[in-house]
Amino acid sequence: MRAEQPFQVVIVGGGSAGWLTACVLAARHPGLAITLVESPDIPTIGVGEGTWPTMRETLAGIGISEAEFLVACDASFKQGSRFDGWRTGEAGDSYLHPFTLPPPGDMAALLHAWSATGSGFAEAMTAQAAACAQHLAPRQRGMPDYAGALNYAYHFDAGKFARLLTRHATQALGVAHIAANVTATTAAANGDVATLVLADGRALTADLFIDCTGQAARLINGHCQVEWIDRSDVSFNDRALAVQVPVLPGSPVASQTIGTAHHAGWLWDIALPTRRGIGCVYASRFMRDDEADDVLRAHVAAQVPGADVTALAPRKLSFATGHRARFWQGNVVAVGLSAGFIEPLEASAIVLIELSARALADALPASRDAMAVHAARFNEMFRTRWDRIVNFLKLHYVLSRRTEPYWLAQRDPATIPQRLADDLVLWREHPPSARDFPLHDEMFPAASQAYVLYGMGHGLPLPPPAAAITAAAARLAEVQDRARRMAAGLPENRTYLAAIAAQAA
Amino acid sequence: MSNHQILTHDAHADLRVLAQPGAALGDAVMACITVPAEFRRLAIDYPILFRQDEATGAFSALVLMGFEPGENLFLDGDRWDATNRPLALAVQPFLVGRSRTSDGPGQVHIDMDHPRISRNGEGIKLFEPGGQPTPYLEQIADMLGALDAGYRASGDYFAALIRYDLIEPFSMDVTLESGAMHRLVGYHLVNEEKLAALEPGALAELHAEGHLLPTYMALASLGNLARLVGAKNRRDHG
Repeated sequence: MRAEQPFQVVIVGGGSAGWLTACVLAARHPGLAITLVESPDIPTIGVGEGTWPTMRETLAGIGISEAEFLVACDASFKQGSRFDGWRTGEAGDSYLHPFTLPPPGDMAALLHAWSATGSGFAEAMTAQAAACAQHLAPRQRGMPDYAGALNYAYHFDAGKFARLLTRHATQALGVAHIAANVTATTAAANGDVATLVLADGRALTADLFIDCTGQAARLINGHCQVEWIDRSDVSFNDRALAVQVPVLPGSPVASQTIGTAHHAGWLWDIALPTRRGIGCVYASRFMRDDEADDVLRAHVAAQVPGADVTALAPRKLSFATGHRARFWQGNVVAVGLSAGFIEPLEASAIVLIELSARALADALPASRDAMAVHAARFNEMFRTRWDRIVNFLKLHYVLSRRTEPYWLAQRDPATIPQRLADDLVLWREHPPSARDFPLHDEMFPAASQAYVLYGMGHGLPLPPPAAAITAAAARLAEVQDRARRMAAGLPENRTYLAAIAAQAA
Repeated sequence: MSNHQILTHDAHADLRVLAQPGAALGDAVMACITVPAEFRRLAIDYPILFRQDEATGAFSALVLMGFEPGENLFLDGDRWDATNRPLALAVQPFLVGRSRTSDGPGQVHIDMDHPRISRNGEGIKLFEPGGQPTPYLEQIADMLGALDAGYRASGDYFAALIRYDLIEPFSMDVTLESGAMHRLVGYHLVNEEKLAALEPGALAELHAEGHLLPTYMALASLGNLARLVGAKNRRDHG
């Protein structure tokens, strides 16, 4: 360990990206001088409300208790994503992508054992499906913080989350907070950002600047002019209409994000204790705004008991799908929306912030000399991550049998990245495996690919020997046994969340 | 206070039971009843003693868990510090119900005033959404069946011990490191000398009826008295 950290970090922009990065860096490097400059005028966009199980480790690492987090952020448990209407759009068309892995062992054998059960893929592979179907929490209150009977993440109010992190970063972790607008940057001879000029005339210097300015991308684009790589050729959606709908007291809180396909996109539905965040994602090429508005209102009317559809005032978001060609240029690192954006189909926004902050914390430069190497490694890693995300989201579309023009266009081979096309050729013979996803921390490992692939109704791989299938059937029977035990012992989400809220009051 | 009901899906579909150990849940007891059929399970952790009902003269077996009323040295917060829990505690708040006149199979009853009845939506459910019993309730039913069968076999067991004069009174003074004294009085146990002196025919008969194994288990369990004293000393030291 360095006795003295010569390094100064300035983070530009608050929101989830700025404050999460500040907290992760400050918790891991207590001696590091971190300043976060946040505009008092620009509201945070509050994009992601869904997270990944990585968030538990992140929160534990920065020293926030789970109950405090849950109550302060109006949070609920997320145990995966459910996809309704993606295969055919017919009644009963639904599958789950849960966070808990299938049983260990040969996936081909498990698949052939599963095909004899007549149940859904996730329902056969993990006890989590039973818990989700009954709106159960993944843990009991007596368990230690961040431990669960099932793997889980959270849904939360992103505005409240940023406020909790602000408080924690400034009061517990020693992050300096400046509320000021950045008016300009000055460049060093090598092109680095030398200073940030603030509206009050102050100039901030630092060794490393982290751009968390969202779509404005003040540093990575404004200063560094790093080009944008457009991915809308693969990922068509470019609009969203978002609403927040209050829920009836005591109503069940869903255990997973629900993504419901419509004829030119899909709807998200995220349940918090007090409200549901619902949004209609669509491609402007295939759907007009007023049509999307109709789809959104019809969904709310059908899915949220007691909702007043006429009172809804949806917020319209337009977004470009893509990412920077480089996320780290010179002494500027882009984290969050400034780095890139894609539709929130698998809640990739916040996890990318966490992974970026962790990668920075794991290998924080100590001098300008090594920074170019750090940057090259970081760029390589996150370029791969973006490609993986783009491919995995596309996988949700290419296996559909829906016949609307939008869905046919999604399956046009010209829009399918080569790597995904290659994977699909392999998966006719073999299930997705670690050979296809060889990085040490893949964002969407083989199990995730399998949940989507077989949830969407993909055919089985070549069968293994009969003895292997018999052994796999016994493992699936154990899953069902565990599912019954867990479903009996876990509390309902509503019960759990009400109990910790009452405790905190 | 008790409020016994026959357990049915109709009446108890959403009921949950707090199954974890806990003083407030009824586990703060110095002893509970046991049956010869579970001596083997319990003898590895607990002392097993006998007690005679003054009114009827009938013997029964007890698992000793502490030295004074309300003290359970196997209970450590929400942890149970032993391999097995005595059936009579593990089945709470359930019990076997049977009409006075019938000797047929018992029904599962539940004491709705028991502290293990959950009032807050936490705990273990008894019925699955479709109405079938949960694995927990299946296990409870098995334990109730074992306990019921064990009670019914107890009479024969103690009759055999009396027949061969194998029961002797037992009392014990326990002096703790703190200087405090506890006296265990009014208990009985197996007379080891008389057991050792039994002629082969008597031993064979006890063995054939299944009474020999629990008798030796009860004897062996007395080694746990020293362990219990140790636990008491440790707890006194905080």
